[in-house]
Amino acid sequence: MNVPTEHLLYLSAGLFALGVLGFMVRRNVIVVLMCVELMLNAANLAFLAAGRQHALEGKDGLQGPIFAIFVITVAAAEAAVGLALIIALYRLKQSAETDAAAEMKG
Amino acid sequence: MSAILFYVLAVVALLGAAGVILAKSPMGSVISLLGTFFALAVIYLLAGFQFLAAAQILVYAGAILVLFLFVIMLLNLGAMGSRFELSFAPLQSGRARLAAAIAMALALIGLVAAQRASLKALAEPAADAPALDSLRGIALELFGRYSLPFQAVSVLLLATMVAVIVLAKRQRAGEHGSGEGAQ
Repeated sequence: MNVPTEHLLYLSAGLFALGVLGFMVRRNVIVVLMCVELMLNAANLAFLAAGRQHALEGKDGLQGPIFAIFVITVAAAEAAVGLALIIALYRLKQSAETDAAAEMKG
Repeated sequence: MSAILFYVLAVVALLGAAGVILAKSPMGSVISLLGTFFALAVIYLLAGFQFLAAAQILVYAGAILVLFLFVIMLLNLGAMGSRFELSFAPLQSGRARLAAAIAMALALIGLVAAQRASLKALAEPAADAPALDSLRGIALELFGRYSLPFQAVSVLLLATMVAVIVLAKRQRAGEHGSGEGAQ
Protein backbone atom coordinates (compact mmCIF):
# COMPACT_ATOMS: atom_id res chain seq x y z
CA MET A 1 0.00 0.00 0.00
CA ASN A 2 1.82 3.10 -1.21
CA VAL A 3 -0.23 5.65 0.64
CA PRO A 4 1.71 8.48 2.26
CA THR A 5 1.81 8.43 6.03
CA GLU A 6 0.22 11.87 6.11
CA HIS A 7 -3.00 10.47 4.69
CA LEU A 8 -3.17 7.85 7.43
CA LEU A 9 -2.70 10.67 9.93
CA TYR A 10 -5.42 12.74 8.21
CA LEU A 11 -7.80 9.81 8.60
CA SER A 12 -6.76 9.48 12.23
CA ALA A 13 -7.35 13.17 12.83
CA GLY A 14 -10.76 13.00 11.14
CA LEU A 15 -11.85 10.06 13.24
CA PHE A 16 -10.62 11.76 16.40
CA ALA A 17 -12.44 14.97 15.51
CA LEU A 18 -15.67 13.08 14.90
CA GLY A 19 -15.19 11.31 18.22
CA VAL A 20 -14.73 14.61 20.05
CA LEU A 21 -17.75 16.07 18.28
CA GLY A 22 -19.92 13.15 19.31
CA PHE A 23 -18.57 13.31 22.84
CA MET A 24 -19.65 16.94 23.04
CA VAL A 25 -22.95 16.70 21.20
CA ARG A 26 -24.60 13.46 22.23
CA ARG A 27 -26.43 13.05 25.51
CA ASN A 28 -26.82 9.30 25.65
CA VAL A 29 -24.04 8.00 27.89
CA ILE A 30 -23.58 4.85 25.83
CA VAL A 31 -23.06 6.85 22.65
CA VAL A 32 -20.61 9.09 24.54
CA LEU A 33 -18.66 5.98 25.53
CA MET A 34 -18.70 4.82 21.92
CA CYS A 35 -17.22 8.14 20.88
CA VAL A 36 -14.42 7.59 23.41
CA GLU A 37 -13.76 4.23 21.75
CA LEU A 38 -13.67 6.03 18.42
CA MET A 39 -11.04 8.44 19.73
CA LEU A 40 -8.95 5.57 21.05
CA ASN A 41 -9.15 3.94 17.64
CA ALA A 42 -7.95 7.14 16.02
CA ALA A 43 -4.99 7.15 18.41
CA ASN A 44 -4.33 3.53 17.45
CA LEU A 45 -4.30 4.44 13.78
CA ALA A 46 -1.81 7.24 14.50
CA PHE A 47 0.43 4.80 16.38
CA LEU A 48 0.33 2.37 13.50
CA ALA A 49 0.99 5.10 10.93
CA ALA A 50 4.06 6.14 12.92
CA GLY A 51 5.19 2.53 13.22
CA ARG A 52 4.77 2.02 9.50
CA GLN A 53 6.75 5.18 8.76
CA HIS A 54 9.52 3.95 11.05
CA ALA A 55 9.56 0.58 9.31
CA LEU A 56 9.68 2.27 5.91
CA GLU A 57 12.68 4.26 7.05
CA GLY A 58 14.38 1.07 8.16
CA LYS A 59 14.13 1.84 11.87
CA ASP A 60 12.49 -0.20 14.60
CA GLY A 61 8.86 -0.33 13.46
CA LEU A 62 7.52 -2.45 16.32
CA GLN A 63 6.94 0.34 18.82
CA GLY A 64 3.79 1.45 17.01
CA PRO A 65 2.02 -1.92 17.04
CA ILE A 66 3.09 -2.66 20.61
CA PHE A 67 1.62 0.56 21.92
CA ALA A 68 -1.47 -0.05 19.81
CA ILE A 69 -1.87 -3.34 21.68
CA PHE A 70 -1.63 -1.45 24.96
CA VAL A 71 -4.25 1.03 23.74
CA ILE A 72 -6.58 -1.82 22.78
CA THR A 73 -6.18 -3.29 26.27
CA VAL A 74 -6.90 0.03 27.92
CA ALA A 75 -9.94 0.50 25.67
CA ALA A 76 -11.31 -2.87 26.73
CA ALA A 77 -10.83 -2.03 30.42
CA GLU A 78 -12.40 1.39 29.91
CA ALA A 79 -15.42 -0.09 28.16
CA ALA A 80 -15.96 -2.62 30.95
CA VAL A 81 -15.81 -0.03 33.74
CA GLY A 82 -17.79 2.54 31.76
CA LEU A 83 -20.61 0.15 31.01
CA ALA A 84 -20.72 -1.00 34.64
CA LEU A 85 -21.03 2.66 35.64
CA ILE A 86 -23.78 3.16 33.07
CA ILE A 87 -25.72 0.25 34.52
CA ALA A 88 -25.27 1.66 38.03
CA LEU A 89 -26.42 5.10 36.81
CA TYR A 90 -29.42 3.59 35.10
CA ARG A 91 -30.44 1.70 38.22
CA LEU A 92 -30.09 4.87 40.26
CA LYS A 93 -31.76 7.35 37.90
CA GLN A 94 -33.75 5.19 35.49
CA SER A 95 -32.06 7.08 32.69
CA ALA A 96 -28.95 6.87 30.54
CA GLU A 97 -28.69 10.56 29.77
CA THR A 98 -25.76 12.68 30.79
CA ASP A 99 -28.18 15.21 32.25
CA ALA A 100 -29.41 12.63 34.74
CA ALA A 101 -26.18 12.82 36.72
CA ALA A 102 -25.84 16.56 37.21
CA GLU A 103 -25.74 16.85 41.00
CA MET A 104 -22.13 17.98 41.05
CA LYS A 105 -22.65 20.82 38.61
CA GLY A 106 -22.58 23.31 41.48
CA MET B 1 -4.97 -0.81 -6.33
CA SER B 2 -4.51 -1.11 -2.60
CA ALA B 3 -4.18 2.67 -2.42
CA ILE B 4 -7.64 3.04 -3.98
CA LEU B 5 -8.95 0.49 -1.50
CA PHE B 6 -7.42 2.52 1.32
CA TYR B 7 -9.20 5.69 0.27
CA VAL B 8 -12.51 3.84 -0.11
CA LEU B 9 -12.06 2.32 3.34
CA ALA B 10 -11.09 5.69 4.79
CA VAL B 11 -14.36 7.14 3.50
CA VAL B 12 -16.24 4.16 4.93
CA ALA B 13 -14.54 4.64 8.31
CA LEU B 14 -15.39 8.35 8.38
CA LEU B 15 -18.98 7.70 7.35
CA GLY B 16 -19.27 5.12 10.09
CA ALA B 17 -17.90 7.59 12.60
CA ALA B 18 -20.43 10.16 11.42
CA GLY B 19 -23.12 7.52 11.72
CA VAL B 20 -22.23 6.98 15.37
CA ILE B 21 -23.06 10.62 16.03
CA LEU B 22 -26.07 10.89 13.76
CA ALA B 23 -27.80 7.60 14.52
CA LYS B 24 -31.16 7.97 16.18
CA SER B 25 -30.87 4.93 18.40
CA PRO B 26 -27.86 3.55 20.32
CA MET B 27 -28.28 0.38 18.29
CA GLY B 28 -27.65 2.29 15.08
CA SER B 29 -24.57 3.83 16.66
CA VAL B 30 -23.21 0.39 17.49
CA ILE B 31 -23.74 -0.84 13.94
CA SER B 32 -22.02 2.25 12.51
CA LEU B 33 -19.13 1.78 14.93
CA LEU B 34 -18.87 -1.83 13.78
CA GLY B 35 -18.49 -0.62 10.19
CA THR B 36 -15.77 1.81 11.25
CA PHE B 37 -13.90 -0.89 13.15
CA PHE B 38 -14.02 -3.31 10.23
CA ALA B 39 -12.84 -0.63 7.80
CA LEU B 40 -9.98 0.20 10.18
CA ALA B 41 -9.09 -3.49 10.46
CA VAL B 42 -8.80 -3.79 6.69
CA ILE B 43 -6.71 -0.60 6.63
CA TYR B 44 -4.37 -2.16 9.21
CA LEU B 45 -4.18 -5.25 7.01
CA LEU B 46 -3.35 -3.14 3.95
CA ALA B 47 -0.69 -1.24 5.89
CA GLY B 48 0.95 -4.54 6.81
CA PHE B 49 -0.19 -4.93 10.43
CA GLN B 50 -1.74 -8.35 10.24
CA PHE B 51 -1.77 -9.19 13.93
CA LEU B 52 -3.25 -5.82 14.81
CA ALA B 53 -6.01 -6.31 12.23
CA ALA B 54 -6.92 -9.62 13.82
CA ALA B 55 -6.75 -8.11 17.31
CA GLN B 56 -8.92 -5.20 16.18
CA ILE B 57 -11.67 -7.51 15.00
CA LEU B 58 -11.38 -9.91 17.93
CA VAL B 59 -11.24 -7.32 20.70
CA TYR B 60 -13.29 -4.44 19.34
CA ALA B 61 -15.88 -6.12 17.17
CA GLY B 62 -15.89 -9.35 19.12
CA ALA B 63 -15.73 -8.19 22.71
CA ILE B 64 -16.28 -4.47 23.21
CA LEU B 65 -19.16 -3.99 20.79
CA VAL B 66 -20.88 -7.11 22.08
CA LEU B 67 -20.55 -5.61 25.56
CA PHE B 68 -22.18 -2.40 24.27
CA LEU B 69 -24.99 -4.35 22.63
CA PHE B 70 -25.44 -6.35 25.81
CA VAL B 71 -25.86 -3.22 27.92
CA ILE B 72 -28.18 -1.57 25.40
CA MET B 73 -30.42 -4.60 25.35
CA LEU B 74 -30.16 -5.11 29.11
CA LEU B 75 -31.30 -1.55 29.81
CA ASN B 76 -33.76 -1.64 26.91
CA LEU B 77 -32.32 1.63 25.67
CA GLY B 78 -33.33 1.01 22.10
CA ALA B 79 -36.97 1.54 22.91
CA MET B 80 -36.88 3.86 25.90
CA GLY B 81 -34.49 5.77 28.11
CA SER B 82 -33.31 7.74 25.10
CA ARG B 83 -35.34 10.55 23.69
CA PHE B 84 -34.79 9.03 20.28
CA GLU B 85 -37.21 6.38 19.22
CA LEU B 86 -36.08 3.17 17.64
CA SER B 87 -38.26 2.51 14.66
CA PHE B 88 -38.28 -0.58 12.55
CA ALA B 89 -41.03 0.80 10.36
CA PRO B 90 -38.76 1.20 7.29
CA LEU B 91 -38.03 -2.51 7.48
CA GLN B 92 -41.68 -3.46 7.36
CA SER B 93 -42.41 -2.78 3.70
CA GLY B 94 -41.87 -5.53 1.18
CA ARG B 95 -39.66 -3.41 -1.04
CA ALA B 96 -37.27 -2.73 1.83
CA ARG B 97 -37.12 -6.44 2.57
CA LEU B 98 -36.32 -7.14 -1.07
CA ALA B 99 -33.57 -4.51 -1.00
CA ALA B 100 -32.17 -5.99 2.20
CA ALA B 101 -32.18 -9.47 0.67
CA ILE B 102 -30.41 -8.22 -2.46
CA ALA B 103 -27.85 -6.39 -0.33
CA MET B 104 -27.20 -9.54 1.68
CA ALA B 105 -26.80 -11.59 -1.50
CA LEU B 106 -24.37 -9.03 -2.94
CA ALA B 107 -22.40 -9.03 0.30
CA LEU B 108 -22.22 -12.82 0.19
CA ILE B 109 -21.02 -12.78 -3.42
CA GLY B 110 -18.45 -10.14 -2.53
CA LEU B 111 -17.27 -12.21 0.41
CA VAL B 112 -16.80 -15.30 -1.76
CA ALA B 113 -15.02 -13.27 -4.44
CA ALA B 114 -12.76 -11.66 -1.84
CA GLN B 115 -11.93 -15.07 -0.43
CA ARG B 116 -11.07 -16.40 -3.88
CA ALA B 117 -8.93 -13.35 -4.57
CA SER B 118 -7.16 -13.59 -1.23
CA LEU B 119 -6.48 -17.29 -1.80
CA LYS B 120 -4.98 -16.40 -5.16
CA ALA B 121 -2.97 -13.63 -3.53
CA LEU B 122 -1.76 -16.04 -0.85
CA ALA B 123 -0.47 -18.39 -3.52
CA GLU B 124 1.70 -15.64 -4.95
CA PRO B 125 4.61 -14.29 -2.94
CA ALA B 126 3.25 -11.40 -0.94
CA ALA B 127 5.77 -8.75 -1.90
CA ASP B 128 3.22 -5.96 -1.63
CA ALA B 129 2.51 -6.06 2.09
CA PRO B 130 5.10 -7.77 4.24
CA ALA B 131 3.99 -8.12 7.82
CA LEU B 132 5.33 -5.22 9.83
CA ASP B 133 4.25 -6.81 13.08
CA SER B 134 5.55 -10.35 13.15
CA LEU B 135 4.30 -12.21 16.18
CA ARG B 136 7.84 -13.24 17.03
CA GLY B 137 9.02 -9.65 17.03
CA ILE B 138 6.03 -8.48 19.08
CA ALA B 139 6.50 -11.24 21.64
CA LEU B 140 10.21 -10.55 22.00
CA GLU B 141 9.60 -6.83 22.48
CA LEU B 142 6.58 -7.29 24.74
CA PHE B 143 8.34 -9.62 27.14
CA GLY B 144 11.72 -7.95 26.76
CA ARG B 145 11.98 -4.21 26.41
CA TYR B 146 8.32 -3.48 27.17
CA SER B 147 7.81 -5.92 30.02
CA LEU B 148 7.19 -3.10 32.49
CA PRO B 149 4.26 -1.57 30.55
CA PHE B 150 3.02 -5.09 29.95
CA GLN B 151 2.90 -5.75 33.68
CA ALA B 152 1.32 -2.36 34.29
CA VAL B 153 -1.43 -3.23 31.83
CA SER B 154 -1.88 -6.59 33.54
CA VAL B 155 -2.37 -4.81 36.87
CA LEU B 156 -4.80 -2.44 35.14
CA LEU B 157 -6.85 -5.38 33.90
CA LEU B 158 -6.89 -6.90 37.38
CA ALA B 159 -7.96 -3.56 38.87
CA THR B 160 -10.70 -3.30 36.24
CA MET B 161 -11.96 -6.74 37.12
CA VAL B 162 -12.08 -5.90 40.82
CA ALA B 163 -13.70 -2.53 40.13
CA VAL B 164 -16.47 -4.02 38.02
CA ILE B 165 -17.14 -6.68 40.65
CA VAL B 166 -17.32 -4.03 43.36
CA LEU B 167 -19.70 -1.92 41.25
CA ALA B 168 -21.97 -4.89 40.72
CA LYS B 169 -21.75 -6.10 44.28
CA ARG B 170 -22.68 -2.80 45.87
CA GLN B 171 -25.90 -2.93 43.92
CA ARG B 172 -26.47 -6.47 45.15
CA ALA B 173 -25.95 -5.33 48.74
CA GLY B 174 -28.54 -2.57 48.29
CA GLU B 175 -31.09 -5.05 47.07
CA HIS B 176 -30.26 -7.48 49.83
CA GLY B 177 -32.52 -5.83 52.37
CA SER B 178 -35.64 -6.45 50.35
CA GLY B 179 -34.71 -9.88 49.07
CA GLU B 180 -33.53 -11.52 52.25
CA GLY B 181 -34.46 -15.05 51.38
CA ALA B 182 -32.76 -14.98 47.97
CA GLN B 183 -29.35 -16.17 49.16
